[in-house]
Amino acid sequence: MAVIRATDPPAERLDREALIADLQRRFHCDVAATESGTIASIRVTDLSELRPLCRSLFWDAGCGFGGIVVEERPQSWEVRYIFLARFAGWIEVLVSLPLSATTLPSISAEVHAADWHEREVEDLFGLRFEQHPRLGDFILHDQFWGEGLAPFRKRFDISKAHSNGQNNVSWRPLLVVRDPGAFAMPVGPVYEGGIGESVHFMLETVGEDVLRAIPRLFFNFRAVEKIAEGKDVGQALLLAERFAAKSSFAHSLAFCAAVERISGVNVPLRAKQLRVLLSELERLRHHAGVIAGICESTALAVSAAHAAIIEERLLRASCCFTGHRYLFGLNIPGGLRRDFTEQQCQDLLSAVRLAAKQLETLEDRLSFTSSFLDRLEEAGVVAPETARDLNLVGPVGRASGCGHDLRKECPYGLYKQYEFQVPSEKQGDGYARLRVLFQEAYQSGTLVGDLISSLDSGPIHAPCQSRQGFALGWVEAPIGATLHWLRLGESGLVERYRIITPSFNNWLGFHVAVEDFAFQDFPIILATFGLSATECDR
Amino acid sequence: MYGVTQGLLFLFFIACACGIVLSASSRGKATLWTIAVFSTVCALALMAAAALVLISGQAPEMRLWTLEGFGRFTLRLDALSSIFLFICGLVYLPASLFVARYLGHRFEERYPARRFGVFHFALMGSVVLILIAHDAYSFLISWECMSILCYLLVNYEQNPDTDTRAGYIMLAMSEAGFLCIVLAFVIVGRGAADFSFAALAAQGLRLSRGAIWGAFLLGFLGFGVKAGLVPVNFWLPRCYTAAPPTFIPILAGVTLNLGFYGILRLNMDLAPAHGWGTGLIALVVGSLTALVGILYATTENDMKTMLAHSSIENAGIIVAGIGASMVFRGSGFAVPAAIALTAALYHTLNHSVYKTLLFQGSGEIEAATGTREMDRLGGLARFAPGLSVVFLVACLAISAVPPFNGFVSEWITLQSLLRSAVLASSSVKIVFALCGATLALTAALAVTCFVKAYAMSFLGIKRGDWEPHSIKVFGHSHFSSVYLAIACLLLGVLPTFVVPALNRAVEPIATASASASLVPPFFTATPTNQQLPPAFLQDFHNLGAQTGSKILPGRGLVLLVRGAEQNPVVFAMSPSYSIVALAFLLGLTWLIVRGATQARSVARNELWAGGIPRLLPEMSYTATGFSNPVRVVFQAIFRPNIVEDTRETVAVHFRTAILRRREETHLVDRLFFHPVGDAVNWFARLLAGMHHGRLNTYIAYGLVFLLLILLLFRLT
Amino acid sequence: MSFWFWNGLRRGIQTTRYPKSMELERGVSPGRPVATSFKSSAEAEQAAGQCPVGAIVARDSVADLELGRCVYCQRCHFGARYPLDWKYDYEWAQIFPGAQDFAVLPKPYRKSLHVIVVDAGDCGACLHEVKQLNNPLYNVHRLGIFFTPTPRAADVLLVVGPVSENMRVPLQKTYEAMPDPKRVLAVGACAISGGVFGRSAMSAGGVASILPVDLEIPGDPPPPLAILHGLLVATGRKVPAAGAQVS
Ligand code: SF4
Repeated sequence: MAVIRATDPPAERLDREALIADLQRRFHCDVAATESGTIASIRVTDLSELRPLCRSLFWDAGCGFGGIVVEERPQSWEVRYIFLARFAGWIEVLVSLPLSATTLPSISAEVHAADWHEREVEDLFGLRFEQHPRLGDFILHDQFWGEGLAPFRKRFDISKAHSNGQNNVSWRPLLVVRDPGAFAMPVGPVYEGGIGESVHFMLETVGEDVLRAIPRLFFNFRAVEKIAEGKDVGQALLLAERFAAKSSFAHSLAFCAAVERISGVNVPLRAKQLRVLLSELERLRHHAGVIAGICESTALAVSAAHAAIIEERLLRASCCFTGHRYLFGLNIPGGLRRDFTEQQCQDLLSAVRLAAKQLETLEDRLSFTSSFLDRLEEAGVVAPETARDLNLVGPVGRASGCGHDLRKECPYGLYKQYEFQVPSEKQGDGYARLRVLFQEAYQSGTLVGDLISSLDSGPIHAPCQSRQGFALGWVEAPIGATLHWLRLGESGLVERYRIITPSFNNWLGFHVAVEDFAFQDFPIILATFGLSATECDR
Repeated sequence: MYGVTQGLLFLFFIACACGIVLSASSRGKATLWTIAVFSTVCALALMAAAALVLISGQAPEMRLWTLEGFGRFTLRLDALSSIFLFICGLVYLPASLFVARYLGHRFEERYPARRFGVFHFALMGSVVLILIAHDAYSFLISWECMSILCYLLVNYEQNPDTDTRAGYIMLAMSEAGFLCIVLAFVIVGRGAADFSFAALAAQGLRLSRGAIWGAFLLGFLGFGVKAGLVPVNFWLPRCYTAAPPTFIPILAGVTLNLGFYGILRLNMDLAPAHGWGTGLIALVVGSLTALVGILYATTENDMKTMLAHSSIENAGIIVAGIGASMVFRGSGFAVPAAIALTAALYHTLNHSVYKTLLFQGSGEIEAATGTREMDRLGGLARFAPGLSVVFLVACLAISAVPPFNGFVSEWITLQSLLRSAVLASSSVKIVFALCGATLALTAALAVTCFVKAYAMSFLGIKRGDWEPHSIKVFGHSHFSSVYLAIACLLLGVLPTFVVPALNRAVEPIATASASASLVPPFFTATPTNQQLPPAFLQDFHNLGAQTGSKILPGRGLVLLVRGAEQNPVVFAMSPSYSIVALAFLLGLTWLIVRGATQARSVARNELWAGGIPRLLPEMSYTATGFSNPVRVVFQAIFRPNIVEDTRETVAVHFRTAILRRREETHLVDRLFFHPVGDAVNWFARLLAGMHHGRLNTYIAYGLVFLLLILLLFRLT
Repeated sequence: MSFWFWNGLRRGIQTTRYPKSMELERGVSPGRPVATSFKSSAEAEQAAGQCPVGAIVARDSVADLELGRCVYCQRCHFGARYPLDWKYDYEWAQIFPGAQDFAVLPKPYRKSLHVIVVDAGDCGACLHEVKQLNNPLYNVHRLGIFFTPTPRAADVLLVVGPVSENMRVPLQKTYEAMPDPKRVLAVGACAISGGVFGRSAMSAGGVASILPVDLEIPGDPPPPLAILHGLLVATGRKVPAAGAQVS
């Protein structure tokens, strides 16, 4: 029987004000008033202080790293480094550069989680990060794209086809294993494991064990953030909802939260409650799906079938409840599109209860299946220190004793009012991740029950007028923290939209943390991370 | 006949002498012509002389002068010698042509071809002298000449980057082996009339048990050095790797065989053992040699070194056959002994043929690409289709895949091990079973090894950064290679014609004929033939065997290891019919597939690699990767030392390099030579420690010894 | 670990009986909007205006539908001023409008169909619904439909996603590597028309701009049974929706 260790993360509340005062003392920076009270903005005036300042925030103060938001304003570049002060809101470090600037200092060496953010900016905006250890082939694959395209610059017209045309024959993968006779086994992008997302792996090996797995992602890159520009909120919402379906509700919620924050709308209570309910329903379904994937990867067919049935039943229950199997089309700025009857809620409740019960049975059985446990235990171990270094989020981070849960640490919506626990494990292996998934799924099931019993009866929608401004929306998506940073222009059209996804964060962590494993464990390790390539790619 | 054979031998020696003189006096291309022409003449003369002896069964003998106190020098070409002489000619012919071609294209004028020619012919002469020597003196003298010439030829290129130490090690080991051989002859020859082989053979029958064992152990050790047996083979891979490509075919195809010849001559012909003990040692050593050889061959990525280890493996199989034969003979089972010996001789012949071909191939690959590292080759089949085909034939042959020759001899070897059922002692049977299993494992690993050798060099995509510069010259199959490839096929398809020839040599040694039981004349035999059991004949007649007698000459084309059991068909095998059946079935399958899939065309385009734009060399399997499973499974044997394990990073998590280097000490070095070397060193240090340089100490030593000697005298 | 075995037996058969009989359980399909008559053509225009992707086309007083474009935003459904009729079925795979001469696969493929799926910039929903076909509740193995990881053995190519620029070459290579006869199915609004991503520098706006598409399976995402219907149409075991003729 698995030991349940559902405890709150051992973190004390950060004193954000004291922290900022301290920073002000040590660095040349202004603390700007922000348009939204939850974000404290520190403007760095001396670029050379950026690195030590970020270092101080991440390492000395123990903040979590959110991501980098780069914006091309009419006169300047604005670069925001977003940090999470635990239990005390957000801190952004703001850097303004003249538009003619082409470089800025890299913080990846200090905050490793910023690595891919910086590489992305380099590829999409053409801004170079000085002293970044590894730039180059990233989103725009060097096999197809020439240098200097910078498709996210304002002057680039995304609506026109830009033939990538060329097949760059001189492209060579960057391999690090130097053993004599080493080679990289290519897997994907048309995934050799059957039905899978488009990821290309280079498994570096000398024959038996894989020394290092290098994922090449962004085959699904559709430039969602760029094509959202110039669209109205309604159109952009469609994009926010549909770029990553497995957590579409979380993403649409984060988008709506940003819009609502800009326009200062107060969402009615019932809508808030239903949003929590639907978020937890999505989490439950998502985790059931990941568990099914893990069972399938270990070739334990019966358990995989059971888990898959649970997932499909939850999809059907979602469809009966909301009219869509993946909860599309529900969130709108200001609330929800539709209301639900008492009967519908009760039907959903019984479906969720059944699913939770079946998951419990499944976990019980799995914990007695030694062949299954043998393959998961010690598979893809991420030590807590590594997880912290790489800023892993979501269940994967929590299985390694790190992982901030925004529902607790920076509560949004109604989460402050509901009682639930965030499981945490220390081992950081595949089995720990599976246990965390199960525990979170149970918690979600309980939350759904609590909500349905306490639903308010009121309107589900408040009118929402889009205004000019910018805001951050954050949600704990099933895979982890997701941030949507949005700036609306004068006519209420999107000016800059930035999506920071948990998969982006954890894919980076995955390939850095997981080294030296047996080839046949690869699908298992991958399944336990529950990553989504399309969410990462955007 | 008699005169003709002698004449051919004279022709050989004259041609050899001309070769030496002309190579020394000519220059440039003329030297190469000399080597090609005179070697061909020599090789043809040898093959003709040997074939005459094998066909007629008469052994010509020449008596040379007498040296006071030593006895007469005698040369005699008997059946055993003829077989080895024939192999010698068979290999020398293509090998010499290869030399001429290789040197002609590769090195032009700068090359010391003249010296090479002199050594080449001198070595040929001394090898032939070893084989036809019929007394201990001439045998030993020519053996010593051969050792020194080998050393000179291994080192003659004097490349700064080749390992000159390898030659010294080989010479040292040869000399140590030579001492053992001399001692063995001394033991056998004590009390003999003179040191001629005839006298030794007569004396051998009267030897005491202890003397036989002594002669066996010393001879086996001494000849084992040349044959590459564990534990005295550690010189072999180094030397083969360092030897120039022009010389290795001869090293592997000719001089390796001298070890087997020595063992057969001394321990089976002159001083045969009585019990099964000696044979068992040979069997076990042979099997272990085979396994160790193939294990290291499988994991080796340098093509030359890999082939060297594979030579060790084949030597092991041959010696295992010889050992089995000795056990059977010592236990009084003449027919199984004859079969096992036939297998050993057949394998010697086969190994010489395909190993020469493989070494020529590796030489051509190296000349064409500048590398022997299989990790860096790949895709050669596209550049060099001709070479690819002959190399494939050799790989199939050495992996014992029908219809090529390796299959036949390995099949007979394994079959003869199965005959251990007739032996009385169950412990011997168990040893036979274990050795059989070891050889079976060896055969399986050999397939892995040569699948890797062929696939990693010729298939896939080019991995190294070499330019196929000389491929125009070396990529195409040449007479020297095609000739050997055809020999591989013929020896594999027509074994029933080879076995009777080998039987000439087997019969006097094993005191029984193998051909009657291995290739029975059932084609021509009537059902009432007395030589064969009626049930057996009946079976074959029912199978329609006699129909072939009208069409096919000779004994028919079925190999048979016939037991005493009732059902004789169990161990029958016909590679000749198999190939016909195989061709027929393949053709039929092709037709059926063609017919069945007419509705469906096969999409022919690039290799499917998951949709990536281009499969890069970095992404294709390497030889190391291919054999790594073997390395992991047999980790206990290889015991790799991780000498380096670095994980370089920039800023904690940016991995820039991962490097793990392993070093393996060869099993034999680890278990035998390092302990021995350590002991010698220790002793030397002890002795050195006694030399303090102070006069008093030396005087003290003297006194102590004096006292000791006095004490000894007192006691005795 | 015999409990797995017993547990499996205890649950009995849960697989749907489709295509022998219709699957009637609620929630297997989100349904689809269908052509709806309004009182006036102005109302129909208004109804069409609700749609963010232009899937509703007003024809006089009828709001007609191009289902291939619909992204299930629900704006013409829940809380809409001019709601469209909604039909809860799933047999809506149809011949791709641009396909010249669609022919069903020859007879041998009816009982053995190998399918390869390519994710060409999909959001994960369509891919997941395709994956659900292997779920015991659908279990397409019983119908002789198999998913294969290699195009060399595939007869049908299912494409999900609007074809992102980085996936263009892999998709083309996959198609080229397939033996004839082969069929291409565009699954989901994105694969059919580009969906919300449309045509841009980074997305080709549908499979048809790259490969010849034979069948389309509308929906965002189409539920598993709709995809199954599409596969059955490809082998001629079901007729396509909209009553189009199959040669
Ligand atoms: S549900 Fe479909 S048809 Fe209706 S408005 Fe949305 S996209 Fe248009």
